Amino acid sequence: MEIIFKNVTHSYEANNPLAALGLDDVSVDIKNKKFTAIIGKTGSGKSTLVRHINALLKPTSGTITVGNREITPDTNNKNLKPLRKNVGMVFQFPESQLFEDTVEKDIMFGPMNFGVSEEDAKLAAHDMIKLVGLDEKYLSKSPFDLSGGQMRRVAIAGVLATHPETIILDEPTAGLDPVGRKEIMDLFKNLQSEGKTVILITHNMDDVANYADEVIVMHDGRKVAEGTPMEVFNNQKLLRDDMLTLPQSAIFAQKLSKKYFKFDQLPITISDLSTEIKRQINGD
Amino acid sequence: MENIISIKDVTYTYPDSEAPAIKNLSLDIHSNEWLSIVGKNGSGKSTLTKLIDGLIECDSGTIEIAGQIINEENIWEAREKIGIIFQNPDHQFVGATVEDDVAFGLENQGVPRDKMVKEVNEALKMVDMQEYKTRDPQSLSGGQKQRVAIAGVLATKPQIIIMDESTSMLDPNGRKTVLDLIKRLRHEQNMTIISITHDIEETQLSERIVVLNDGQVVKDDEPKSIYDLGPELTNFGLEEPFSSQVASSLRDTIKLPEGYLNEEELIDNVWKSFSKM
Amino acid sequence: MNKLILGRYLPGDSLIYQLDPRGKFLITFYFIGIVFLANNVVSYGFLLLFVLFAVYLSKINLGFFLRGLRPMFWLILFTVVLQMFFTPSKTPLWSFGILTLSKEGLIISAYIFIRFVLIIFVSTLLTLTTTPIEISDSIESILKPLKAIKFPVTQVALMLSIALRFVPLLIDETAKIMDAQRARGVDFGEGGLIKRIKSFVPILIPLFVSSFSIAYDLAIAMESRGYKDGEGRSKYRVLSWSMRDTLAAIVMLVITVILLFIRSY
Repeated sequence: MEIIFKNVTHSYEANNPLAALGLDDVSVDIKNKKFTAIIGKTGSGKSTLVRHINALLKPTSGTITVGNREITPDTNNKNLKPLRKNVGMVFQFPESQLFEDTVEKDIMFGPMNFGVSEEDAKLAAHDMIKLVGLDEKYLSKSPFDLSGGQMRRVAIAGVLATHPETIILDEPTAGLDPVGRKEIMDLFKNLQSEGKTVILITHNMDDVANYADEVIVMHDGRKVAEGTPMEVFNNQKLLRDDMLTLPQSAIFAQKLSKKYFKFDQLPITISDLSTEIKRQINGD
Repeated sequence: MENIISIKDVTYTYPDSEAPAIKNLSLDIHSNEWLSIVGKNGSGKSTLTKLIDGLIECDSGTIEIAGQIINEENIWEAREKIGIIFQNPDHQFVGATVEDDVAFGLENQGVPRDKMVKEVNEALKMVDMQEYKTRDPQSLSGGQKQRVAIAGVLATKPQIIIMDESTSMLDPNGRKTVLDLIKRLRHEQNMTIISITHDIEETQLSERIVVLNDGQVVKDDEPKSIYDLGPELTNFGLEEPFSSQVASSLRDTIKLPEGYLNEEELIDNVWKSFSKM
Repeated sequence: MNKLILGRYLPGDSLIYQLDPRGKFLITFYFIGIVFLANNVVSYGFLLLFVLFAVYLSKINLGFFLRGLRPMFWLILFTVVLQMFFTPSKTPLWSFGILTLSKEGLIISAYIFIRFVLIIFVSTLLTLTTTPIEISDSIESILKPLKAIKFPVTQVALMLSIALRFVPLLIDETAKIMDAQRARGVDFGEGGLIKRIKSFVPILIPLFVSSFSIAYDLAIAMESRGYKDGEGRSKYRVLSWSMRDTLAAIVMLVITVILLFIRSY
């Protein structure tokens, strides 16, 4: 589904002294079937932005179009289920949403809320547990007997079980070890190659460089840039204004360019970096 | 080198589990060293921290801290020598404000108030958080909360600081400020740092890396030698350091010295091969 | 949750903020007690003026206090209406079955309304100008004599302050879990009563689980920082009673005397 934000502003209750920053006139286009990363400092409005896509938050003004559905300030809370079924959301530390007495029931919870039959929900649970890299024998266990990393996978399976067309990920790998992190990220990349739209909030710029097709940069509730990772990480203005950190490969290239090397565009992945180093050394 | 902690043949099994979390583990930690303890989730890293601090009691074996084998009588004394910064900044904040939290450890030791006020101020100054003294924790960022936690630990002047994945829940800015702070403090205060982490780049700050797997020490060496394990590192839940990954992608074209190169060494070598062309 | 003004601290600075929390705490309860001494228009008017003056001294916008009434709206309405129609009277203005509307009933319900306003305003004034930790310090200090009968005053006070410290954290956690379950298709506040109650299970269980894990982490953190059993601890926070606190207490006594005078007038 294509997702279009048009002049979306969101202000949290004015009298709340602890209010996080809202959104300030954000217009952005999230492309269908692409992997879009949303980056920006803590408190820049990333989480607020994505919570509008499944109407957990409603705009103070402006509209969001998700497929053929429109969300405006007046959208009421009824009939949001078809929208939420199509937009799966993996929150930060999603293991805290587990509550059923077995893993199977917990994965079935979402689909059954959206009116899927018990049988089909069961099938989905069996498919999803394998998809997230756990054995089917876990289905009969209590989620609270699992390790942190396994709970994370079960929670992700529970979100994917509704077969959403769009998947929103809010730092899905925070706190995992590097191996687990890579497995989870590869899983989402695979889902995207199978035709899903993936939206990822992250602080990890290497993940952005390695996985994303598009990047949206947020700052103080505003969208300050969008484009491909290559374009965004080579945006001098963003770097000057300290709205962005670079992937390790780009930082490495910057260091190399102090002597001999010259990069028209900073490479952002290890393979780009090494190709470029070899090219310059071989002098083509 | 003098040992500040000496762990001998320690085994520990959690009450509700069959397999031991720590198996016949022996490890010496030297005074004033920076030691990284790494390993997969569930390899026993955090259990080891709790054993060292006497928060759980080992089934067999002994743990010696600053020359004393810890037991029920002297554990409180031993604990005063150790400060732990835990993973979740929200779950270790006891006080209602920054200054109250920093004072907590001093209150527990029964330090008189005048002295306490002085030491709270000093500790906050060391972590550069004086201006947040009266703020409540909810208004701080993750990195700031961890700095307060560090101040709380510093106030009681421990000889050992254990960082139990203390940067894993922070954003890159928060992580950097906390690590810079620890680097600086270590030189100013002459402390032993034990850092439990998944972050390979973080281990580069240390002098020695101990790899745990299934409750046992499987590697114990200087970082360079550990990084030489290359792709095998993933068996222990780690990734290869960035510079190793770049180096191995270049080796087919550029002649580089054998073994692990850190970023500066790699850059130098790449420059060299360029100037030779 | 943002609508709940009662029980929230508002950072600020004024005479009321500077008063010793123990004094403020006792005065608030004392005042709630003497509200029940008021028995006529003049005495209620007098107390109302006094409270409005205190609000003025606090330099806090009156709007905050009015908003404090909001969560109590239904309770107030219910009590006031009950008094209005169920006060027995020999000279009813209007009656229908057991319902009677009379002059006495109207006056009593007006008094009750003012009583609500007075009580809510002063307690809001206390919580808006006193941090939770100050309130818990006050309770500790006020309960201190109970140590004589082995009541664990310091432990209770620490427990209270930790509980207060974790309220905002748990509120955040609740909001997060609710969002996660809404995203998984839970509709809060839809369907029949049973369905509505059921829809809270997916919130309550995760909330219990995370409360326990927070409590466990915190206990470990406290022990690692040398917290034993609350004995032999020194205290970082000190409360100081000054001249103006004594003055505030004297003002309360004067108010009581005037009130007693108006009452029998």
